[in-house]
Amino acid sequence: MRDSDNAIHISNLSKFYGKLQALNNISFTIKRGDFYGFLGPNGAGKTTTINIITGLSNYNAGSVKIFGHDVTRDYRDARRLIGLCTQEFNFDPFLSIAQLLVYQAGYFGIPKEEAKSRAATLLQRFQLLDKKDLKYRALSGGMKKRLLLCRALIHDPEILILDEPTSGCDLELKFLIWDHLAKLNKEGKTIFLTTHYMEEAEKLCKTIGIINHGRIVKMDSKENILQDKSLQDVFLEVTGIE
Amino acid sequence: MLKLITNPIGVTALSRREIVRFLAVSIQTIFPPWISSVLFIYIFGVAIGRQIIFTIPGITYLQFIVPGLMAMHLISSSYENTAASLFIGRWHNNIQEVLLSPLSYLEMVLGLLAGGLARGALVCLGVFAASQFFMLQGIEHPFFLIYFIIMTSTIFSCAGMLAALWAEDFGMLNLWNVYIIFPMVILGGVFHPLSLLPLPLRILSHFNPIHYLVCGIRYSIVGYSDQNIWLCAGLAVTLAAILGFVTVYLFKIGYKLRT
Repeated sequence: MRDSDNAIHISNLSKFYGKLQALNNISFTIKRGDFYGFLGPNGAGKTTTINIITGLSNYNAGSVKIFGHDVTRDYRDARRLIGLCTQEFNFDPFLSIAQLLVYQAGYFGIPKEEAKSRAATLLQRFQLLDKKDLKYRALSGGMKKRLLLCRALIHDPEILILDEPTSGCDLELKFLIWDHLAKLNKEGKTIFLTTHYMEEAEKLCKTIGIINHGRIVKMDSKENILQDKSLQDVFLEVTGIE
Repeated sequence: MLKLITNPIGVTALSRREIVRFLAVSIQTIFPPWISSVLFIYIFGVAIGRQIIFTIPGITYLQFIVPGLMAMHLISSSYENTAASLFIGRWHNNIQEVLLSPLSYLEMVLGLLAGGLARGALVCLGVFAASQFFMLQGIEHPFFLIYFIIMTSTIFSCAGMLAALWAEDFGMLNLWNVYIIFPMVILGGVFHPLSLLPLPLRILSHFNPIHYLVCGIRYSIVGYSDQNIWLCAGLAVTLAAILGFVTVYLFKIGYKLRT
């Protein structure tokens, strides 16, 4: 299934919303096992990029490959390799938490018994097992965040994409999520993280890319980017925010 | 078809979710059409039907309207199930759970369609079972019945998905049902044979596709149809194929599903 060491390869990608150009000919590659921080101001194109990678958005030009699988032509193989942790709590309101995960695993071709076992393991890992029969609306905000992670991981994807996973979290939950993400990366998962928290990217990421007005304005290893400046200073400098 | 399904576990999971969803609210999805059918059968079929001098030899008015009611509820239940499920999925954005998965677009449509088919068939056969309290009627052509249930449900499950993709709010979602489907169902011969209509309406009814579906189900139950049964069967499969194709195509291009 994995015919490339490039986990995500984006080439000359452009996207328009009507006349507004959201992405302007962007290209970058994320290697297998990387922890990639994708930063940018609001409206810079982060979520659009994620949506295109995951197949939730069409694009106008360019190509996106996941371990060599084109996200349009070979979308089934590409999607099998990705787990997306969305910003919003977009769960099926009719199902219990355990059902949500078991059905989600089913869509990925995982048999029911194995799906139940995986769901139990993940719920245990994210301290939600005692809530498994509740509907998601009964959970607190922090629990919903953890449930998003469980859903993204239920099919054991090679790449985990996280769209601002710690926004609105208290410190304890933030540390818990950071700890899990670091472990997952250590286990070999490629992680693509968007965040507005510079200290989060600085702490977790190996590579950092900064997007502004639909263009990649900086991309390098964390060490190269942070030679003698803080990430916040670099971010403000390349985005022109004062 | 089997070669086109590469993720059977995925399709089964989505189908199961759709069925679990409508069964969980069966007080809204299953019982109301059964109750209204019993009332229709009693008032129109039994109380008023006794007074009607019916011109079709060999069948009573009660026998005539029961298949019509089965078709009516098969159509509305199939339509409502997929329309509500997909529209609510868009509304809450949890349709992304399906869109992010490795299901093919055909498999996504089949999974949603399974819910419409299951609900439609359950309601339709429930109406037939309830009618047995008022008359003893067997099924004249069981294979035709299975065929017309599958085809009719496929047509209106796809129509429900198309409406759910097109609609921007719940009001728009109901427009098709209220202004197009329901009048076509009523004028399609649920309660009357074509011969009772004045000539202009009779001619118009020949252009109403629902009339042929009602005729197909009536023929399956009592062996009588206003139209040639093979014409009904051919039209049903053609409509199902066209609507199925359009629905899968819209999923493929991501019409109102992808930005």
